[in-house]
Amino acid sequence: MKVSLNQIKQFIDFDLPSTDELVQRINGQLGGVEDVIYLGDKYKDARIVHVVECEKHPNADRLNVCKIDAGTGELIQVVCGAPNVQADMWAVWLPPGSVVPATYGDAEPFTLGARELRGVMSNGMLAAGDELALNDDHDGIIVVTEADLPEGAILQPGASFAEIFGLDDTIIDIENKMFTHRPDCFGQLGVAREISAILQGVTAKEEGATDTRFENPDWYWNQPEFAEGTGSLELEVQNNVIEKVPRFMAVAMSDVTVRQSPLWLQCALMAMGAKPINNVVDLTNYSMLITGQPTHAYDYDKLRGHTLIARMATQGERAALLNGKTYELSEDDIVIADSEGVVGIGGIMGGSNSEVSAETKSIVLEAATFDMYTVRKTSMRHGLFTDALTRFNKGQSKLQNDRVLARLMSLLENIVGATQASKMHDISDMNDERDNTTLSGEVAVAATFINDRLGVDLSTDQMGNLLRRVNFASYPAEGDSSITMYVAPFWRTDIELAEDVVEEVGRLYGFDKLPRELPYRRVTPAVQDGAITAKERIRTVLARAGANEVLTYSFVHANVLEKVGQDSTQAYQLSNALSPDLQYYRLSLLPSLLDKVHMNDKAGYDEFMLFEIGKAHHVDARDDDGLPQEFGRVAGVYAARADLNGTGPAYYQSRHTLDYLVRQLLPGATVSYIRLDEYTVPTYKPFEQLLAPFDPVRTAIVEVDGKLAGVVGELRAKVGRNFKLPERVSAFELFVSPFVQHRTTMYKPLSKYQGLQRDICFQVDVATRYEDIYRAAAFVSDDIRVTSKPLDIYQSDGGATKNVTLRFEISPNEKTLNATEVSQVIDTIIENVVHATGAQVV
Amino acid sequence: MEEIAQLESTLLARIDELETPRDILKAPEIKQLYAKIPTLDPAQRGVFGQKINGLKQALERVVAEKESQIEESASVPLDVTAPLHINSKLPKLLSAEQGTVHPLRQEIAKLIEIFGRMGFVAEESRELDDQYHMFESLNFPAGHPARDEYDTFMTVQKDTNEEAFVAPAHTSTMQNRILKKYKENLDKDEPIAAVVPDRTFRNEDLDARHEHTFYQIEGVYVAKNVHAGMLIATLQKFLEEYYGKKLEVRVNPFYFPFTEPSFEFALSCPFCEGTNPSCKVCGGEGWIELLGCGMIHPRVLQMAGIDPSVYTGFAFGCGIDRLVMMKYAIEDVRHFESAKLDFLKQF
Repeated sequence: MKVSLNQIKQFIDFDLPSTDELVQRINGQLGGVEDVIYLGDKYKDARIVHVVECEKHPNADRLNVCKIDAGTGELIQVVCGAPNVQADMWAVWLPPGSVVPATYGDAEPFTLGARELRGVMSNGMLAAGDELALNDDHDGIIVVTEADLPEGAILQPGASFAEIFGLDDTIIDIENKMFTHRPDCFGQLGVAREISAILQGVTAKEEGATDTRFENPDWYWNQPEFAEGTGSLELEVQNNVIEKVPRFMAVAMSDVTVRQSPLWLQCALMAMGAKPINNVVDLTNYSMLITGQPTHAYDYDKLRGHTLIARMATQGERAALLNGKTYELSEDDIVIADSEGVVGIGGIMGGSNSEVSAETKSIVLEAATFDMYTVRKTSMRHGLFTDALTRFNKGQSKLQNDRVLARLMSLLENIVGATQASKMHDISDMNDERDNTTLSGEVAVAATFINDRLGVDLSTDQMGNLLRRVNFASYPAEGDSSITMYVAPFWRTDIELAEDVVEEVGRLYGFDKLPRELPYRRVTPAVQDGAITAKERIRTVLARAGANEVLTYSFVHANVLEKVGQDSTQAYQLSNALSPDLQYYRLSLLPSLLDKVHMNDKAGYDEFMLFEIGKAHHVDARDDDGLPQEFGRVAGVYAARADLNGTGPAYYQSRHTLDYLVRQLLPGATVSYIRLDEYTVPTYKPFEQLLAPFDPVRTAIVEVDGKLAGVVGELRAKVGRNFKLPERVSAFELFVSPFVQHRTTMYKPLSKYQGLQRDICFQVDVATRYEDIYRAAAFVSDDIRVTSKPLDIYQSDGGATKNVTLRFEISPNEKTLNATEVSQVIDTIIENVVHATGAQVV
Repeated sequence: MEEIAQLESTLLARIDELETPRDILKAPEIKQLYAKIPTLDPAQRGVFGQKINGLKQALERVVAEKESQIEESASVPLDVTAPLHINSKLPKLLSAEQGTVHPLRQEIAKLIEIFGRMGFVAEESRELDDQYHMFESLNFPAGHPARDEYDTFMTVQKDTNEEAFVAPAHTSTMQNRILKKYKENLDKDEPIAAVVPDRTFRNEDLDARHEHTFYQIEGVYVAKNVHAGMLIATLQKFLEEYYGKKLEVRVNPFYFPFTEPSFEFALSCPFCEGTNPSCKVCGGEGWIELLGCGMIHPRVLQMAGIDPSVYTGFAFGCGIDRLVMMKYAIEDVRHFESAKLDFLKQF
C-alpha cells in the first residue's frame, strides 16, 4: 500500500514528524514499512514557466525557438519541437543540468545541457507528459492552465513544478499483508486516520473529550442524500445475486467530456502509484485510492438496453475485458451485465465493450460490494489481479458505497462537467432501519479482559480515549459498570470479538510498552518425544560411524522413481509443483540418496556413507484419521571407488554399520539377516516399493528381535548404471520405530579367574550359512561365559568347502578351569556345530 | 500385415534360444521385411513401415527385460548372515573423523534443548497434512485471502472430504493437535508448552534466498493469565540464551488469522550489535526481523476445545534455516538440501 504523505496531509491538521520517526512509529503500531520513496528528488529542478515568445527555427521546419520566463529576471531561450508550443502558454521547463524525470533512477539517467540545435542555442527543454513520467503522452508538451492547478495555487513564472503539484512528496510503502483484515487501510484516508491515532501521546481525558487531530471529511462521515437527477437518461438496475453482491448502487450521468485529467489529478494518481488514463477513469481511481472503495464507470451508450445487472455468469459465457483478453466464465463468477451480455467481472475488471472513451457522452457509475471469497476465487481461477480486487477481497464495508459515490459524483460535476441524469439505484441486503454507523454492532468488553490479555492496567477512560482516536464509540453497559460497550465505525469490517478490541487497544497504546514478564512454571519435567529422541540417537551413532547426514527434498522427479524400479502411481503426486523435479512424494528415502552419490564421487570422495532420516509415504497407507501414513525411516548408502581395505562385497560394509547401530542403541537385541530371495516378503505395497532397488540375492531383510526392521544390501545392476554409481555400493533403509525405546543390558561381573582363548576352524560345505555355525557354537552355562567372534572365512579357488574360523573367549565365573574342563567346553561346541552343519574341524 | 504379426510371435519364441537376446534384432526376417517396402503400392508403404517399427519396438522391450533378467541371474548370491566375506577381512567402520551431522539438525537439537530447559516439550510435524489442520483449525476459512500468503503444495490425491492433501507451509499445522493432546495439562493447572521444529514447504522458485523446503520451529504456550508481554519476554529470554548475550527486542503489529494480536518480532543484531553499518546479517539496520508471533486467536483455542475466556496463550513461528545461515554466514540456502560433502563436512 503506497501512502502519499502529501495526500495524508489534507486530512490532518498537525505537522508530521521526520520521516525516520514516522516510519518507526508506523512499523511499531501499524505495519511493516517496505520502502520509502522520495519523489521530490526526481522533480526538484522542474519549473513552471511562461512562454513569452515563440518563433519558427530558422534552419528547421519542425522546431520553434522560444523565449521563456522562468522568474529569473531575464528570458531564456529554449528550442522546442512540440507542435503545440506557442507564445503566451505556460509550460514545464527542465533546465540545463537537470535529469529528465523519466530516466531518474535509471542506470544512465539523462542529464540535460545547454547546446546548439541546428545553430540555435537551447537551454534545457520544455517537457512532455512522458518525459515527466506522468503519462504516455509524447504528442506535445504539457500545457499548464489555471484548471490544472490544485485549489489555491496560482501560475507564477519559475515556480517549482513539484511544490505546486504536490510532487515534493514522500511515499511510504506499507506491507499489504498487514492490512489483510483492514480494508479501510487500502485508502489514504484510512491510513491518515491511523497515523494521526498513533502519533498522539496517551493522555487520558474526560469522557466525551476528544484529542484527535484527524477529522473525517464530511463527505465520508455523513450519509449523503441523493437528488432525483434530470431524468434525461433511462437506467434499469437489477441485482440478482444479493447474497454475493450485498450492495449494488448505480447512477447515470450525462454531459461528460472525456479528456486528459487536470495536472493536479494526474500528479496525485502518480504519487499514489496509479497511471492516468482519462478524466473519468482517473476520478474513479482517485476516489478508490483515497477511500479504499473501488468504483467503475461504464459508457452509458454502450450498455445495451441501458441496463446494468449484477448476476452470476452462465457456464461458458465469455467476457472481453479492458486488458484486451477474453475469459471463459463459469457459474461461480460474479459478472456485471447489460441486457445482452457481460460488461465486466464483478469486483475485478470492466469489459472492453463498455469502456469509457474519448467519444463517451454519458456514463453509468457503479459502487458495489462483492463477496470477498467469491471474487478471490474468480481472480485465482482466471489469474486476474487488479487494484480493485486487492481491495474487494479484504471485505470492503458496504456502508461506505453511498458516501464514496456521492463524493465521486461531485468530483465529476466539478472536473468533467457531468450532470446526474437518473435516480440513484441502491439494491442491498439491508432493510430500511439499517444502521449506518456500524457494521458489526456493539462488542461488550470488561476492562479486566483487556488488561489481562495485555498485562497492563488501563482505566476504562484511557481505553475509550485510545479507541476514540480511530472513531470507536464507547459507553458503559446498562446495569453493569464493569462492562463497556464498544462500537466500531462503519468502515471497520474486522471488529467482531472482544479480542479484536484488545488488539486495537494494545496497538494504539503501543505493544513495545507492554510489561515483559516471564510466565511462572512448575518443576514438572518436559516430556521427551520418543521419535525425536530415537532419531537424534540414530544420527549421533551413524555420524560416529563415519557417515554424513544429508537432508534431501521430500519430493522427487518421476525419473528418480523409475531409476530404482519404483512405481510412481503409488506415490502421492503434487498437482501444482513448479518443476517436474518436485512431482512425487518419496516411496522410500534411498532413491534420493542414490541421486547424490555420483556428484560426491566426482567431487573426489573415494569412500563415504550418506544417511538421511526422513519420512516415506504410499498412496494406499492412511492412518486412523484418514491422513497419509508417515513412515519414519533411516536410509544410508555406502559408496567407494574400489575395495580399498580388502573387505570384499560392499554388502558387508553396510551390514557392519547396522550391527554397530543396533549394538549401540538396542544392546542385547538379536539381529537377524535373512537373504531377500529366501524371505517371504509380506504383501504390503509400501514395503515392496522399499525393496525395489535391491538385488535379492545380495540383500538381507533385517529383523530385530524377530520383527521386521528394514533391509540392507547391494543394488540391482541397472540401479547402479542409472545413477552412475561407483564400483562398490551398498545401502540400507530401516524403520525408525524399533529404535523408539531405551534399552540397557545388565552388567556382567568381571571374572576373577584366568580366562583363555581358542580358535576353531570348521570346514563346511560352501552353501552352509555362517549363521548356522555361529548359532550352533553358542555355549550356555551359568559357570562359564563363552563368547565367540569370526576370525576368517577361507575358500580355496573353486573349492566345494569353506573354512570358517571362530575365536572363542572362555571366562570362568567360579574357578580357574583345568585342561579337562576346557576340553569339555570345546568338545561340546564342536559337537554342536558338527551336528548342526556336518562340519569337520580342521 | 498379417505376416508381421506372425513374425513377431516367431521371433519372441526364438529369443529364449539365443545366448545374446539382442541378436534377435538382427534377425534376417526383419531385413527381408524392410526390403519388401519398395515393392509395395506407395500408398501402403507408410503403414507397412510403421508396422515394422512397431515390431522392432516390441522386441526391444522384451530384449531389455531379458537382459536385465540375465544380468540379475548372473549376480552371485552372498551369505548375508555372515559378518564378513570369504577370503576377505572383517569390515571396519569409516573413521569417526569423517562423520557429520547436518547443520540444520545440529541447530534443531540445540533449539529443542533450550526450549526443553524452559519447560517446552518437542513434537514432530507432518510432511503431508489435510487442509483442516493447515488452514481451517487456524481460523483461515475456505477461500480466505490470507491463504494466498502461503504458497501451498497440494496433492492430486484427495482426503475423505474430497479436498487435496497439502505439504504444510508452516509448522502451525500441528497447533490444533498440540492443543488437544496437552489440553489435560490445563486441568492440572499446568501450561501447554510445546515446540515443533520440523520441515515445511512453499511452492516457490529456488534462488539463493528462497527454498521450497525449509525448517521452522513453532511454539505454543497456553495457561491462565497469559498476556502479550509474556510472549515478548519469553522469546527475548530464549534468544538471549540462544545467542548467549543480552539482546533488545521489538514487535511490530502484523496480521495472521490464527493470532490476535499478531506481531512481527525483531531482535537487535547479535552479530554487530548495531555498530557495523555494513553488517552482512542486519544490513546495518541493527535489527533483524526474525519471526511471526501473537496471542492465539480465541477461535483456534475453541476449535481445540479450550475455553478462551479462561485460558489465553501465545504462539510463534521462526525459520530455522535463516538462524543457521546467519550463524555461519552461509550465503546460499540451497546448500542445505544439496547433500554436497564439501558443504556438510564443514560442520
